[in-house]
Amino acid sequence: MAEEIKNIKVTIDNISIEVAPGTTILHAARQIGGEVTPPAMCYYSKLQGSGGKCRSCLVEVSKGSEKDPRPMPKLVASCRTTVMDGMEVKNITSEKVPEARAGVVEFLLLNHPLDCPICDQAGECHLQDLGYNHGKAGTRYEFKRRTFEKEDIGPYIQLHMTRCILCYRCTYVADQLTEKRVHGILERGDHAEISTYISKAIDNDFSGNMIDVCPVGALTDKTFRFKNRVWFTKPVDAHRDCNNPKCCGKTTLWLRGDDVYRVTARKDEWGEVKSYDGKPGWICNTCRFDKKKTSDWVIEGPTVINRHSVISQGHYDGLVMPQETIEKVLNGRKPKLLMDIHDVSDVNKNK
Amino acid sequence: MGRKLLLDKAHVENIRTYDVYRREGGYRSVEKALKSMSPDAIVEEVKKSGLRGRGGAGFPTGMKWTFIAKPEGVPRHLVVNADESEPGTFKDRYLMEFIPHLLIEGMIVSSFALGSNVSYIYIRGEYAWIVDILEQAIAEAKQNGFLGKNILGTGFDCEIYVQRGAGAYICGEETALIESLEGKRGNPRIKPPFPAIKGAWERPTVVNNVETIAAVVPIINEGGDEYAKIGIGKSTGTKLISACGNINKPGVYEIDMTISVEEFIFSDDWCGGIKNGKRLKACIPGGSSVPILPANLLLTTAKGEKRLMNYESLSDGGFATGSMMGSGGFIVLDEDQCVVRNTYSLARFYRHESCGQCSPCREGTGWMEKILWKIETGNGKISDIDLLWDIQRKIEGNTICPLGDAAAWPVAAAIRHFRDEFEWHVLNADECLNKNYGLAHYADPIAVPQTV
Repeated sequence: MAEEIKNIKVTIDNISIEVAPGTTILHAARQIGGEVTPPAMCYYSKLQGSGGKCRSCLVEVSKGSEKDPRPMPKLVASCRTTVMDGMEVKNITSEKVPEARAGVVEFLLLNHPLDCPICDQAGECHLQDLGYNHGKAGTRYEFKRRTFEKEDIGPYIQLHMTRCILCYRCTYVADQLTEKRVHGILERGDHAEISTYISKAIDNDFSGNMIDVCPVGALTDKTFRFKNRVWFTKPVDAHRDCNNPKCCGKTTLWLRGDDVYRVTARKDEWGEVKSYDGKPGWICNTCRFDKKKTSDWVIEGPTVINRHSVISQGHYDGLVMPQETIEKVLNGRKPKLLMDIHDVSDVNKNK
Repeated sequence: MGRKLLLDKAHVENIRTYDVYRREGGYRSVEKALKSMSPDAIVEEVKKSGLRGRGGAGFPTGMKWTFIAKPEGVPRHLVVNADESEPGTFKDRYLMEFIPHLLIEGMIVSSFALGSNVSYIYIRGEYAWIVDILEQAIAEAKQNGFLGKNILGTGFDCEIYVQRGAGAYICGEETALIESLEGKRGNPRIKPPFPAIKGAWERPTVVNNVETIAAVVPIINEGGDEYAKIGIGKSTGTKLISACGNINKPGVYEIDMTISVEEFIFSDDWCGGIKNGKRLKACIPGGSSVPILPANLLLTTAKGEKRLMNYESLSDGGFATGSMMGSGGFIVLDEDQCVVRNTYSLARFYRHESCGQCSPCREGTGWMEKILWKIETGNGKISDIDLLWDIQRKIEGNTICPLGDAAAWPVAAAIRHFRDEFEWHVLNADECLNKNYGLAHYADPIAVPQTV
């Protein structure tokens, strides 16, 4: 790769970094890494045109640039705003951002069914992470949550429209990876839904990648459905000689014992598909859905997974515990023999 | 009554036809502009006139025109926004229906100034019959050599096409309009890039309101300086106001932005006072998305001055005590109207029209509607009012396009100025179903802070 031109200086949360012109604030923050990186639910660097929709990556620009030091009047979507020389950005140090972000999380969870206990995405769900990291415990919504008519979109992919956050990523996959997009957004506003018009089954070689890009459990692998929880399966890197020229053949197998429960593309620390030779490592449906034996694959070794997921990390720090109501129920009498796990057991104590 | 520039000839018989329009002095500006002026000179003239966008935001038109990129070999486009869907606004409809050639004339001059050889009118689908009127006008202009190839022998080519929308409010937002014009789903684009750089089909595009483009005709005919003499301060020229609600004479009025709001509502020249001898309670002065004002703040500003019908005076005091000129949809509410009910219907409208692209607007508009319905039907809690306030605050400014703001502002203003009416709804759950809160103190004079 050619030497990158780095001549734009940007400061994010008081950390300065030099980046190439045309870099977005989000990418600059990702180069710094760690806590200053805003979350991204709809933006996907490998999909052209994605981003700007979920508003969870909002940041405050406290200084526009060296030339024009005025702050930007509104919070901006960091995934779609390019940096200017001398720009100063506030993410976690901003006063406005955490509140706005908590608002976005609340909006995203407003009509979400919160059926994590039966959702196959649980444990690797970006909405779970976002909710734990930036949301508030409890909801103020007291109405019936939105539901949709169930729709079968083919033998490989399960669509749960109630979980969808309308990030549009899957439509970009279909546009950019497959020959013809047969699904899209129907309707508008809060009744907008992902659908194949007149229940046309999605059937092409790369449709499975929609599962990988889906940040939530709206699109899940039918061949893995209810088979296991992701945190019980062991990920290993593997590859095979795939004869599909667009498939990279490099995958992660999710094993339990010798059984291959699931095959996915390899993902990087931001939850996106890894790139090989500058090309995103999308995989074909044959690799994903049909090669479910260890003998189909050459296993390279255990996958180093980023433990960003709240479940894998178990970081419940700072979580506000639900209020103890036993005393109230017992008319002020303190419980003695009841299972007093919040106070006695070490298991649930904050670290 | 002030001078009329746009609707002066609107009632001449058969003005809709080319022959009558031409006889009344139509298409003079095209002859003047194309034969004796350069495109830059026209832009300069519009800049001098101080004309501000009539669609709602009030951005200076001449300035907008200078932003258009002029890359070599790439066509540019003028798109006229006739997707007039703001509740309470119907001025463009009137203009296009009665005097369509004025718009076509303005478009030819503007297209010449911007270098657009193919210009579009994006009209809302519900205005089905106006499409025929416009196409008739375009055909007539073409027959008489004002459109098509080599207009008036000046070598300038221009075609105008009318494109019908499919009935979405969001397509009045300029980037959603462009998407829809391209044949896609009408979702607003993320800016930048702005349409002036990359608009329709990635080409530099200027999107202007119907009234704005029509106003270019008198500017060219009389000169920008003459135009700027009408009005006060930065509110130059004339503005069409579509007045509706509980008034004696609803309709479209052309005002010169020097009259007071009080005069506009109560004078027989204009709205003719409140219907059935009732009293004025509140007013939404610029189309459904601008903040609602109670009678006292509508007629006088917080400083105690008379409020005038122009951009500056209507927005005097910011959102705390002022409102906006907006698109000129003037909605008057009398003492029998319920502000909670009114806010609910607006919230329902915005929920229905949200495109669903970004989460605060998609989820927040529906949430606000549900809470407002709860309060309106006597099932609300006092904490719901604070919750509404919090929701609107989290929508405003955090969305891709201004629809989020437009949905948040009416709710915010209603709570800001009419909180006691909301509380009355909550505390008198049974009473509110068959009785109105009435005028209350909303018309009482407000205490003006003493200036030292």
